[in-house]
Amino acid sequence: MSVLLALARLRKSFGDRMLLDLGELVIEAGQAYVITGDNGAGKTTLLRILAGLEPADIEGLRIEGVAHNGAQVSRQIVYVHQHPYLFQSSVARNIAYGLRARGIDGVKRERLVEEAIAWAGVGHLRNVPPSKLSGGEKQRVAMARAKVLGPRLFLLDEPTANLDGEARAQTIALIRQLVQDKNSLLIACHDRELIELPGTRRFHLENGKLTEV
Amino acid sequence: MDTIAESVRLLFGGDRELWGIIFISLNVALLGLVLATPPGIALGYVLAMRRFRGRRTLVVVMQSLLSFPTVVVGLVLYLLLSRQGPFGSLELLFTQEAMVIGQAILVFPIIVAHTVSAVQGADARAHETAVSLGASPLRAAVTLLNETRFALMTGVVNGFGRAISEVGCALMIGGNIAGVTRNITTAIALETSKGEFAQGIALGVVLVVLALGINLIMAVMQGEGGMK
Repeated sequence: MSVLLALARLRKSFGDRMLLDLGELVIEAGQAYVITGDNGAGKTTLLRILAGLEPADIEGLRIEGVAHNGAQVSRQIVYVHQHPYLFQSSVARNIAYGLRARGIDGVKRERLVEEAIAWAGVGHLRNVPPSKLSGGEKQRVAMARAKVLGPRLFLLDEPTANLDGEARAQTIALIRQLVQDKNSLLIACHDRELIELPGTRRFHLENGKLTEV
Repeated sequence: MDTIAESVRLLFGGDRELWGIIFISLNVALLGLVLATPPGIALGYVLAMRRFRGRRTLVVVMQSLLSFPTVVVGLVLYLLLSRQGPFGSLELLFTQEAMVIGQAILVFPIIVAHTVSAVQGADARAHETAVSLGASPLRAAVTLLNETRFALMTGVVNGFGRAISEVGCALMIGGNIAGVTRNITTAIALETSKGEFAQGIALGVVLVVLALGINLIMAVMQGEGGMK
């Protein structure tokens, strides 16, 4: 597999406390990774840094061989929040948001949105105000909103946290589909089923260090 | 009782002078609002989202302007626009244009303060989500402002309330010229000072109805927003 993302070193501290001090990190294209670690280990912070949402001391970040700084990655990497925020419009407009930001025209945009809606199984929610959605439905809409952009890398932050029963199963099914379709994913999680998902590799984050296990 | 009856007759009898005064008031207040709102929202957003040198000073200036006496704004503008002033050649003193400028200055800090409050109170994930989905800084800003639109509307309504109800600035730089710069508040002040209460009462009723109507519209809109 080719290298999607490589960084030579990443450090992040809060005051005197060094939260992350990673050496070389390589993410292969088409590979899914889970990141495990205790609460507060820095999993969310790492994903946010990679998404360009959090500043950090980064050396040698390259995406598909091209050098980047942390703030330039937002069109290639999509971060899905643990508790996704949906804009105060319809589900369909939420899914179309990133496409609009990329200037994708109406007909193509509508087709892509319909495909994403069908993929996530949220067709019946198309015109429902986001505030009426359950946590599981919001997570699936957020996954569709990310997938429709065809990002180089998905960053999923605890996607099944606070979900149970069918909502959790549906979210895991979507992630399984992304893994099977050879998308690149980095998933911070505690969920045993996600950790053991076939086709994934596992990093463990402890004391600011990331090790593959 | 005669005064009340006369004020009712003025209101519902289609009195041209009275409705002309109301039109001037609305025209000046709305134009002042239109002039102040876009830059007010832009500055409020920058103050809420960015950290830069001089930010604190700007915030203090805006907060001070919130409680600035309207007559002082009128006095400063008078000095600037009078014949001997730096902008005297524009010949704006005692015109509706001068009143619009004055009301825009009064409304501006209200819009700024409400925008700062709305943006700082917004869910932090809204802006992050927009950025993560590839929005440019401008698009992310517009998205966040749209998410806080009901709070921003409150600022706009409050701004309109200040513009339509202030008297000091309008009197000083408008001059209370009948048919030209006489608005509701300056007319009430003049008529009352002459002991002519009927027109003052009629115009006062219009002001109160305007205030109630706008707040009613806001309540309905916020109700709809809350249901989303």
